[in-house]
Amino acid sequence: MRILLIEDDAALGHAILDHVSANGHAVDWVTTLGDADAGARAVNYDLILLDLMLPDGRGLDFLRQRRNAGDATSVIILTARDRISERIEGLNAGADDYLVKPFDLSELTARIAAVARRYTGNPNPLVALADLEIDLAGRTVLRNGKAVELTAREWRLFETLLQHPGAVLSKGQLEEHLYDFDASFESNTIEVHISRLRKKLGRDIIETVRGIGYRVRRS
Amino acid sequence: MSSAYSLRNRLSLALAVGVTLVWMAGVTVCGLVVRHELDEAYDSALQEMAQRLLSLAVIDILDHQETLSARRVAALKPHDEFLTYVVRDGAGKILLHSHDADRDVFPEKPRTGFNTTPTHRIYGESAVSDSIFIEVAEPLRHRREAAFESTIALVLPLALFLPLGVIGVWWLVRRNMKPVIGLGEQIKARSAGDLSPLNTARLPDEIEPIRHAVNDLMERLQRSLDVERSFTANSAHELRTPIAGALAQTQRLISVLDDDERRIRAEAIESSLQRLARISEKLMQLARAEGGGIVTAAPADLGAVLDATVDEFARNIENGERLNYANPDAGTLISNIDADAFSILMRNLIENALKHSPPGSAVEIVAEDGQVRVINAGAALPNDDLISITERFSRGPTETEGSGLGLAIAAAIAENGNIHLDFKSPATGRTDGFEAIVVLPSITGGT
Repeated sequence: MRILLIEDDAALGHAILDHVSANGHAVDWVTTLGDADAGARAVNYDLILLDLMLPDGRGLDFLRQRRNAGDATSVIILTARDRISERIEGLNAGADDYLVKPFDLSELTARIAAVARRYTGNPNPLVALADLEIDLAGRTVLRNGKAVELTAREWRLFETLLQHPGAVLSKGQLEEHLYDFDASFESNTIEVHISRLRKKLGRDIIETVRGIGYRVRRS
Repeated sequence: MSSAYSLRNRLSLALAVGVTLVWMAGVTVCGLVVRHELDEAYDSALQEMAQRLLSLAVIDILDHQETLSARRVAALKPHDEFLTYVVRDGAGKILLHSHDADRDVFPEKPRTGFNTTPTHRIYGESAVSDSIFIEVAEPLRHRREAAFESTIALVLPLALFLPLGVIGVWWLVRRNMKPVIGLGEQIKARSAGDLSPLNTARLPDEIEPIRHAVNDLMERLQRSLDVERSFTANSAHELRTPIAGALAQTQRLISVLDDDERRIRAEAIESSLQRLARISEKLMQLARAEGGGIVTAAPADLGAVLDATVDEFARNIENGERLNYANPDAGTLISNIDADAFSILMRNLIENALKHSPPGSAVEIVAEDGQVRVINAGAALPNDDLISITERFSRGPTETEGSGLGLAIAAAIAENGNIHLDFKSPATGRTDGFEAIVVLPSITGGT
């Protein structure tokens, strides 16, 4: 997934960036609402991790503005404010989840996965596809009962396709979901990863729609 | 208002007694003046009569000097005499007397001027070089009767008006005390957390400063409560952010370390940080629980607060599946307990239930009609433990990680908010388990 992290604390921001990237997501990290706004205009994010107290404003105002503008991007609030009234306010403003600092990074991973599942309309973390059993929460894939090893990039690509069932995603869209701003990549990276995925998961799992892009096969 | 010291009753009583006393004194003085004036009038009549009679008597006596026996003035018609008289010579021999005159009424020897015997008022006058005396006697009974009758005429109408006066005093006092009583009742009727200014109709100048002072005091109290609350909230924020950074960095470090020894050390840091986070969290909650503002001015429905609190646990990867909860109907949990305080209370009870029950067992949260019950499985607690569980840093007989502050925080909030918090083990209708029962204070009539 392509994730925007808005967090002004350096130590925490850095650790979250590391952790979420290691989980196979493309993360852009900004420390102000101004940068966040600019980023959100430029890129179509799948998820925003939002701190509430930022140097140039309140995170809740940012969230309300986006919701008022009709934006439906999933948002998880990460905050040190733990009062129930603030929690209710945050969820009412349109946040998908509200996580109080300090939290375990594993908890954050689980919450991100849960929000992603809810967002794609498939709250069930277990997906069956041909001879595959995919656990979105546990990030495991079984083929005919045997575990398949996927690299972080491969998993990220596969998950992106799974999260848009039936939809054709262009190469550009897939690149946007896969890489953050700073990443450099070869022009044929997507093709390379798709071919590796087909080798590991089965030839007909990912279909090529000529001239448009790729989609995951319907189960 | 049945009190030993009621301003209204005291004022009414004092005024009523005062009016009665002044009235009685007035009547007494009046009575004495009337009596004095009556005496003067009667005396003057007595004297006038004696002087008139004397001259007639002298002529009469001198004309009939040969007659030796005392003469009685012949009565024209028999009648009762108010006034009787005797005419005597200097030695006391009676020369003439009125027909009803009683010799015993008069003194042995004739005297001039006014005399009073126990029964009569007598006036004496002399003539012919003190050889003839006339004495006229008037029974005192007559005067007393006159004085008594005029006094009664004075007292009776006033006696009728006195109760009216007392009722008037009571009514006036009551009417004028109304703003004071109203102010008192307004203060009394407030709920414990209501710190809004007192609004009453115009108050008398003497009472206005009290209202002013009370409003002033409540405003200051509200301010210091706000300061305290925002301080707690801000310090929580300031404390949590660096802990969050340290914990996250440590967890990143652990994930990249492949050296076992270093990994174990990093994990020790991680668990210390987690404990630090838990304890600072609990201390913040305790500060909140023991501070003011647990009770709010206006009652609100806490159902949504309970939903949000349980939802926080339900989203947790570790224990989320264990909660058995149904959102209560609207209006089930109407109370004037502060939402955050109630949430902290419930959070601690749910945490406690999750912590002290077998892994994977269900924790039930039941909200109904002003109360919430949190029930968990596990061996029943002995009675002594039930009493001591709300003590601080009491961890119970488990090996579970915990600050030992959770139930102490719950108990502090309950006490401050007038919430009835009860613990039962075994749980109701079971042979084992533990049950915490929160009964919210009734909002009718304040606390």
